[in-house]
Amino acid sequence: MDLLAHLEAYVATVDESSFSRAADRLGIAQPLLSRRIKTLEAHFGGLLFDRSRRQVTTTELGLLLLPYAQDVLDRAQRLGQVARSARRAQVRAVGVPMDCAPVALARVIRAATERGITLGMRELPPAERVSGLADGSLTYALVRVPREQAGVRVPLGLASAAPSEAPEPAAVGASGGRRRAIHLEDLRPRRSRHGELPAVLPVLTLTEDQVPYAHDRLVRAAARAGLPEGLVRPAGPAATALAETLAGGALLLCAEPFARQHGASWAPLADTALHRGYDVQGARGRPAAVDVPDWLTALLAAAAGAPAGAPDTLRLPGPVAEDASSRLAARG
Amino acid sequence: MSAEPVHRPACVAGDGALLDVAEAVAADWAALGVRGSFLARNLDSGEQLGFDVDEAMPLASVVKVPLALVVLDRIAAGELDPARPVTVDPATSSIGPTGLAAFRHPATVAVGDLLLLMLSVSDNAAADALFDLVPVAEVDTRLRAWGCAGIRVRHRMNHMYECAAGAAGNDFSLALELAVRDERAGRHTIETLDPAHANLGSASALVDLLQHVWTDEISQPLATAELRRLMGFQVFTQRLASELRADTLRWSGKTGTFLHLRHEIGVVEAESGDRVALAALTRADRRAGLAPDIDLAMGIGARRAFEALRG
Repeated sequence: MDLLAHLEAYVATVDESSFSRAADRLGIAQPLLSRRIKTLEAHFGGLLFDRSRRQVTTTELGLLLLPYAQDVLDRAQRLGQVARSARRAQVRAVGVPMDCAPVALARVIRAATERGITLGMRELPPAERVSGLADGSLTYALVRVPREQAGVRVPLGLASAAPSEAPEPAAVGASGGRRRAIHLEDLRPRRSRHGELPAVLPVLTLTEDQVPYAHDRLVRAAARAGLPEGLVRPAGPAATALAETLAGGALLLCAEPFARQHGASWAPLADTALHRGYDVQGARGRPAAVDVPDWLTALLAAAAGAPAGAPDTLRLPGPVAEDASSRLAARG
Repeated sequence: MSAEPVHRPACVAGDGALLDVAEAVAADWAALGVRGSFLARNLDSGEQLGFDVDEAMPLASVVKVPLALVVLDRIAAGELDPARPVTVDPATSSIGPTGLAAFRHPATVAVGDLLLLMLSVSDNAAADALFDLVPVAEVDTRLRAWGCAGIRVRHRMNHMYECAAGAAGNDFSLALELAVRDERAGRHTIETLDPAHANLGSASALVDLLQHVWTDEISQPLATAELRRLMGFQVFTQRLASELRADTLRWSGKTGTFLHLRHEIGVVEAESGDRVALAALTRADRRAGLAPDIDLAMGIGARRAFEALRG
């Protein structure tokens, strides 16, 4: 027996002094209401209403039990309210990359608040964002996925010291300030006509780009472009990598907002296959996986540095045309 | 990045100054992710410097030097006519980027000129046409008879292509990937990179061979003189020769390149009379077909060694 529903029928009938009006108030059919009251009477072992007259009247037992029934219903209602407000106050943790712009993250939090949801941002390395979703410590996360599957693509480029301090030729627009993309083979050391080879700036990578497939793709592209071994290497903490970059001693692989936010110049990599691919995923929890609302995906994508609008179709670099088989033969 | 044990090259050198040069070259290579062996020897004083000189490596196109010597020996003995015409048909000839291997129409070339094509532009089709006349086993046997124990000839040139394409299906990047990965794992998917099956040689065995060729201590003077002349025609200058290019210097060499392997052997002769034989055999831990910095590092090492060893 659903005691609350039965008590509701009983209290409403006392208030209305009518089975039909009580049924209307509760939005149920009158036979159902009558049945509930009969069940309750059987349960308590006595009549609650006197049905012998034209107007329904409450029996002595019915009047005796009324305040207690009312009390049960009030408490049940308060229980429901507490549960609802607790649900609203619950913080949902969102795993985000370590170098998101605080302003963009604030936008996500505000948008959630407007929808009655409280979000908490957790800056985590890529692997911990995945494990967080799995163990339930995160409700949502920006998860790195290989390029062909990614719904969100964040272009990568190289941050360098601001032009006034140490110009990076490829990063400075040559024609009317138009931003030129950086080709990896342009970073090859130049043979100098005088003395030793000039030092080449190392390309530092952040934790966010040290996921295996992305790192491997980058190192391979660097090797194919003729860059010396070890030129592309993991940076330590982001702050020191930035300091080295701003001092003109390194180039830092990162997304544009991160570079701008810290006063560095930035130019995109020409090879757009080298990007950060993300999906916004919900916890794969019980009883069901958490759905990710579209507004959240869009705002998190922007926070990670993805340009507005749908991503362009990805142009994967084609192989340089040549006789494929002779490359596999012994050569001079 | 990984916890691979650091390789310490075993240096050989006549004295402390030469040891410094050997160590500097080894350090230079290591900085580029290159493993290998290096040996330079003054042909007259016998002084030498190098490191890991006895490590046997797949020879790639460097094997064309011992092949040429055995063919020239047969010619000098009158058993083979250098004017004998050989027709090379692209339909059946060996794969390669230069010379007859890149021809699209059948061509008939004399044996003596096959040798020129093989040594000047590293022509795989010319080399395998010569292997048709002097089989692999005979080249190997003759080298053993001459006492060149450190050099093994086991297969034709095209076998390298067949093995690489067999493993990677004409995908150069994949073949390179396999080569680099297998080197770390110590197991070889591409048979011609496996020391148990490849044409093999060490820096010391190759420098010994060059020394014998330049001092007429092997085969016959007619053969060694022709080999010296032909090796002087090599067109590739990006490796050991890169820092030894002067009108007063003469370089005679033979390169070898296959996937991650970059080799060259040769002799630099100065107008002053100094003669230094060199062998540089490398394998790179890098998935790049072209690596001019590695080629240049080999050239810089060659010049340092030559300057340290010349009188």
